[in-house]
Amino acid sequence: MRKLLLASAALAAITAGREAGAWTLEEAAAPYSGTTINALFLDRPGYRAAMALLPEFEEATGINVEIEILPYENSREYQVLEFTGGGDLDVVLIDLVWIGEFADAGWVVPLEQFYEDEALADPELNLEGFFPLLLDAFGTWDGVIYGFPFDNYSGVLFYNRCMLEEAGFDAPPATWDEVLNTYGPALTDAASDRYAFALQSMRGETQSADSFMRMLWPFGGSLLDENFRSNLLSPESQAGLQFRQDLMAYMPPGIVSYDHAEAVNALAQGQVAMITEWSSFYGTLVDPSASTIIDCLAVAPEPSGPAGRLPALGGFSLGVNSQSSEEEQAAAYLFIQWATSEAIARDYVEAGGVSGRMAIYQEQDIRDKYAYVDPMVESWQAGVPEFRPRFPEWPAISEIVSEFGTRMMLGEVSIEEGAREIGTRMEAILEQAGYYGGDKPLLQ
Amino acid sequence: MAARAERGIGPRPGPMRTALHALGLILVLLFAVFPFYWMVTTSLKEAQDALAIPPVWLFEPTLEHYESALFRNNVLDALLNSLFVAICTTAASIALGTPAAYALARFEFRGKRDLWFWFITNRMVSPIVLALPFFLIANTLGLINTKLALILIYITFNLPIVVWICTDQFRGVPRDLEEAARLEGVKRFQIFWRIALPLAMPGVAVSAIFSFIFSWNELLYALVLTRSATRTAPVTATSFMSGYELPWGEIMATGTLIVLPVIVFALVVSRQLVRGLTMGAVR
Amino acid sequence: MSAGRGQGRLALPFLAPAVVVLLAIGIVPLGYAFYNSFTRFNLARPNDPQLFIWFDNYLTLLGDSSFHDALLRTLLFLVMVLPFQLALGLGIALMLHRPGLRLLRTLTRLSLVIPMATTYVVVGLIGRLMFNTEFGVVNDLIGALGIRPVEWLGDPVFAFIALGVMDVWQWTPFCALVFVAGLTMVPYEIEEAARLETKRWWRILAHVQLPYLLPGLTALLILRTADVLKMFDAIQTMTRGGPGTATELISVYIQRHGFKILDQGMASAQAIVLLILTIVLARLYIRLVYREVA
Repeated sequence: MRKLLLASAALAAITAGREAGAWTLEEAAAPYSGTTINALFLDRPGYRAAMALLPEFEEATGINVEIEILPYENSREYQVLEFTGGGDLDVVLIDLVWIGEFADAGWVVPLEQFYEDEALADPELNLEGFFPLLLDAFGTWDGVIYGFPFDNYSGVLFYNRCMLEEAGFDAPPATWDEVLNTYGPALTDAASDRYAFALQSMRGETQSADSFMRMLWPFGGSLLDENFRSNLLSPESQAGLQFRQDLMAYMPPGIVSYDHAEAVNALAQGQVAMITEWSSFYGTLVDPSASTIIDCLAVAPEPSGPAGRLPALGGFSLGVNSQSSEEEQAAAYLFIQWATSEAIARDYVEAGGVSGRMAIYQEQDIRDKYAYVDPMVESWQAGVPEFRPRFPEWPAISEIVSEFGTRMMLGEVSIEEGAREIGTRMEAILEQAGYYGGDKPLLQ
Repeated sequence: MAARAERGIGPRPGPMRTALHALGLILVLLFAVFPFYWMVTTSLKEAQDALAIPPVWLFEPTLEHYESALFRNNVLDALLNSLFVAICTTAASIALGTPAAYALARFEFRGKRDLWFWFITNRMVSPIVLALPFFLIANTLGLINTKLALILIYITFNLPIVVWICTDQFRGVPRDLEEAARLEGVKRFQIFWRIALPLAMPGVAVSAIFSFIFSWNELLYALVLTRSATRTAPVTATSFMSGYELPWGEIMATGTLIVLPVIVFALVVSRQLVRGLTMGAVR
Repeated sequence: MSAGRGQGRLALPFLAPAVVVLLAIGIVPLGYAFYNSFTRFNLARPNDPQLFIWFDNYLTLLGDSSFHDALLRTLLFLVMVLPFQLALGLGIALMLHRPGLRLLRTLTRLSLVIPMATTYVVVGLIGRLMFNTEFGVVNDLIGALGIRPVEWLGDPVFAFIALGVMDVWQWTPFCALVFVAGLTMVPYEIEEAARLETKRWWRILAHVQLPYLLPGLTALLILRTADVLKMFDAIQTMTRGGPGTATELISVYIQRHGFKILDQGMASAQAIVLLILTIVLARLYIRLVYREVA
């Protein structure tokens, strides 16, 4: 019933307010009615939201959208095999760290050719309406737009207000330093299995993105210097990694095996007081079947470090496969344009998605209803698009970072040794890729 | 501990020894069944019960996870795909493997041991070696996203098992019967088909069971070679590992749905398991 | 043994279909992989030519400490689980073979089918659930025995053990059934005669039953070694190789290179080395353990 209401509301949004003769989705899609396009989705709230709204797009356009759902861990491999084998994927899912690879390989089409085509481009597309950081980080490579931001995340601080109040804090920590020196000791009681903080650090992209890089930037560190040499041995980077090591005293033991699910659950079950997680976990944390702390849940921006507030940035854009036929490409573009449009932003957010559009978050009722909105919007005002480098070599480097990053946390290698090992192996990859020859532009 | 329970194989075990024997068997039984039991009960728990600290043993059961597994995650389609692939692979492996096993058991020729070992070697090839080359080849032949591709590649690791198990069984079939038939002018293939094969049935059955189980359970090839339409059950089970949320109820419901058919099948034929698993080699 | 040397022509029609099919499906991709192992071939760089680089990949492997570690870890895992699987398997087999308690024996034999038939992926999922530090049932059970909760999947050593426990759970029944099959091969009269002579079960085992168990033992050694070297599914769902690299066995390592980094040249070289190792071990087992039953 709720779905039906949503659908009709969105339909109204599409059709309303357009004069006769102006661009409409129906007309633009008319030549492609009956076309089937294939898309890859993940099993996450933003995708479920889009799927709930999908019937109304199919009805309006006659375009058939077939959706394949895969776990994140397999989705890059799946798409690369699709590209290699000339499979029938049309709508490409681009994680911000894949964009360099996909664009360099020529697997995705510059969207310019569609949004400059009057027949296809929605006059209300309004590229300026996306958060500039998101369009830049998720959708743009070397100045060319390949995708529109679709599933958007910022790291935020979720905390258990009740636990903080009990310990005498009436506000969340503003700096990482406070987390370690004030909140950490006060909120940790290992004997009764209570900890101040949990940082998801499982081997894989979780380790490299959520754990390792999260602690580099706020302390002024970074993975690479301006010459693409390892910057991990700089005092700032070392300070960040040392901080992470120190903070482990206030995290549950075994934090190295925590993926998102475990960290979120630890907060949801009242075992830890604070986590820094993607904004989109809000839905899980207010779901009564999964969470026992709904009344105590509060959200704030991530703490800042000596170099300022540089929260984790992540997300996906949707792009068009370069090997698809012309009709499929056009139909895929229409779908992407619709799914990321301002017109459906409200329905998308209310169905559990996180839109990349600025306008929707101006709405007072949305800000009131979803506690994550304000901290997230604040986080998106400034940030580093290359929070993780987005060049084609990242997947290989991420494997190295996650291997030695976890071993550092376990104390199997010292921070310095680990940083040196990552540096050596990373530079070997970048060397082979030709970045040090002087001809290749240093893009990340 | 298991060994102590064994003490006293003999004609008239005392009550103490029988008690130890019983205790040993019960421990084995519990150990074998417990993880399965835990999976099934978790699949019947509400999310909060599944994640409760400490775990709960008594709870109000719910079938909601099965509903969403079956209707939202298309586990049923995946099960049907797995069933089809497993049956075809098994049939093909038996059809190809039993004659080969018969030849290895009955005839003397040069290089026999090496040939046998070569068959076995195919079982040792890691799917990681073959997956991509096979993908590229299947791709040029237009076999991606077909069940045929899976069936073909699954033959490579099931045929060796069939050959291994059945060779030993054929060697256990008395020669006199075959000799007698041969003297009466019955053709070789007829002898194989009408005399040897029925007598080696336990081995054939066991190798069929294992072919079925191995094909049903295979993951890596299926990950690389299938798309939504041909997705098999194990691939579906990994689709929860999104690193994002772990809906344990649904995961365990899916796991139960995947495992149950094989277990039922294996239980039904389990009598054969013991007689057929003699696993000898070729001289 | 009847018949002479040259029955090759008789055997040919029986063997040909299996050999041809295996060659066609198995050898062609294997040859392709072999070729790839001598090239620089990354799927994610379709614009780079596939360069023939001779033994570069193999030379890199020689110096790659992560590869060596993964290989050693795999062998360690094998040495850890195999004795348990064989010893427990033999113990269970002897219990199942022992007369008396018919119903209980049948039930136990049936229960052994469950671990064996459980999909590997699901084994890993069950492991991840049961060994969870907070809501896992394993800590609950050992807590009942007065043992403090253990950080199973977050601690390198315990994660390795937990994975081993799941592997022992899954494969001990198979070992048990192979041994039971061996025990039933012992002719009834011989076993009876031996029983009259001695009451010591281990004497009967060593002198009467052992020869019948050796072929099965060799087969188990070969199969289990090959399977541990190929082990991937359960690790992927249980620990994903972590924490750190604690449970990253060789196949997980190679899969990472082949399908995460998509470096197919290097991954092929690694896989070829692994294949050679498996074959050498199998040959060794056959030479050392195999005895024919007289």
